Amino acid sequence: MRNDLLAEIFRKSLLTRVFEDRFVRLAMEGVVPPLLHPGAGQEVAQIAAIAALQDDDPVLYAHRGTGYMVARGVSLSAMLADCAGRAGGTNNGKGGIMHVVDTARGIFGESGTLGGGFVISVGMGMAAKRKRPGQVVIHFFGDGGSNRGTFHEALNWAAVQKLPCVYVCENNGWAVSVPVSESTAVENIADRAHGYGIPGVVVDGVDPDAVLDAVRVAAERARRGDGPSLIEIKAVRLRGHYATDPQDYRPDAAEAASKDPLEALRARIISSGLMSEAEVASLQAACEAEVEAAVVEMQAQPLLSAEAAFEDLLVQGA
Amino acid sequence: MREITYSKALNEALDEALAEDEDVIVYGCDVGRWGGIFNITTGLQAKYGADRVFDSPISENVLVGAGVGAAVGGLRPVVELQFADFLLTAGDEIFFKAGMWRFMHGGAFTVPLVVRLPSGATGAGPEHSTCPEAYVMHSPGLLCCVPSTPADAKGLLKLAIRSDNPVMFFEHRRLYQTRGPIDDAAAVAPFGKAAVRREGRHATIVAWQVMLNRALKAAETLAAEGLDVEVIDPRTLAPFDFETILASVKKTGACLVVEEGYRRLGVGAEIGARLFEEALPYLDRPFRRLAIPDVPIGSAPALVNRILPSEDEIVAAVREMTR
Repeated sequence: MRNDLLAEIFRKSLLTRVFEDRFVRLAMEGVVPPLLHPGAGQEVAQIAAIAALQDDDPVLYAHRGTGYMVARGVSLSAMLADCAGRAGGTNNGKGGIMHVVDTARGIFGESGTLGGGFVISVGMGMAAKRKRPGQVVIHFFGDGGSNRGTFHEALNWAAVQKLPCVYVCENNGWAVSVPVSESTAVENIADRAHGYGIPGVVVDGVDPDAVLDAVRVAAERARRGDGPSLIEIKAVRLRGHYATDPQDYRPDAAEAASKDPLEALRARIISSGLMSEAEVASLQAACEAEVEAAVVEMQAQPLLSAEAAFEDLLVQGA
Repeated sequence: MREITYSKALNEALDEALAEDEDVIVYGCDVGRWGGIFNITTGLQAKYGADRVFDSPISENVLVGAGVGAAVGGLRPVVELQFADFLLTAGDEIFFKAGMWRFMHGGAFTVPLVVRLPSGATGAGPEHSTCPEAYVMHSPGLLCCVPSTPADAKGLLKLAIRSDNPVMFFEHRRLYQTRGPIDDAAAVAPFGKAAVRREGRHATIVAWQVMLNRALKAAETLAAEGLDVEVIDPRTLAPFDFETILASVKKTGACLVVEEGYRRLGVGAEIGARLFEEALPYLDRPFRRLAIPDVPIGSAPALVNRILPSEDEIVAAVREMTR
């Protein structure tokens, strides 16, 4: 890929990592609940996938990580405010980090029940096809979520209708504490694409070029009206299920740490001469400063009124 | 004034909504080529095309979930679930997604979705017989229509499709062939406005759909005995017009709810609890409920008739209450 795009994917991935590490410290300090499912190890792939799309293509994201939002430029302080119960957030205290929304940036939210988003994406694809030809809906999910029956219902009907949807599975090998080998009958989730007569490809989550290319191919197919695709990213999960999960159920933690895609990208950026070590260090410092500024901005916001509990349910007078 | 059937009224509502708004789409199992297993969508695919009126796989979760997504994406989907019992088959999509997608995303979206739910005991067995509207009334974020007349079937369905909120629309299958007058020039009463179907002063009956018809017949029998019963049709269960019931109970001092749902924690239980909270000084007689006893609904007619509240039971209950 072009150097400027690679540098941008690196910058956003680094910012995501710094942001989420800071989030975990805020959780330890009791400023926010420890409900973030850290995406460390998966941010490079998330951001590369979104880089393959138009800026306004709707994103239904998965629960692990905030790379999707950082990719689209959602305010960091707004996401923190969502979690801290303060004003200035994106969901008015209703959804925490699970339901960050920013429709102007194509961030269309998430199902709290895992695997609940597949069916939403089908309807969004139906609306895109009729109202906004050329638009592509991308839906991210995990290997765990792919075992919901909704996966089958949604991919089947999306394929029947040739909807402009791209399904991206981030298979990190673990559904909370259960390894994929104990929960899933096939080695590759992408193999299930055969059951729907759609393309299914496996890509390495350490390789942003492979992710970008796969999503570009799928998005072009969708825009042509040829229907959905299933992409499986073999992803690396570096942290626990939630921010303070010690994950003592994982024998592979050390091995995963050695495969950190962000470290691989950092090494590639430096060895290729795209950035010097000093420039990377300076970028890291800039990310830390941006995150600290977001924390300060969040803490300056007033706490939400408890009366917000009664808002945002029904449209009044309708 | 012309007279039409309840099913024709529903078909007209869909037809007019499709004509008025290009964003309206109608889909579900068998609704396209066949026109629906109950013939409610007859002729609509031929008139509006398979892009707007279409068949779906037997996949209740995606039927409703796609409705939520399509609504978020700017369409006005009307989904038929064939049997109201399938409300629970699509539980995640109805209660969590339709009911809460807007709320949990801080009001960023509207969800103008209608789910049509043909309900009622017709001898088709425990999973194809229920009137499960109490689940919807219990759950936040959903509106709930229970039309009893052809005029309300048409009027409420058109309002539901125009609404920016998700609406669970219960159509009673045993009403499909019933006929009633419809005034095409009249404005339809809004959601949350009950109808007093018969005025009276000795007791109040709250009932809708098939049970409303039984209550009205029972009221005639009771009138011959000198008991004037007021019969209230709530029309919508969410929003719920408690004020009309309260005003009636202040007058009659007695209230009976007749429903085709299960008795335990049913709609009647909610109405009784509210009367206990807000109207105890006006209740001269104990509150009463007639409902399906808490067993599943079998398929043999004798079993079904044994547990559905009957006209005779309504008469007996009012006699006993007002003795």
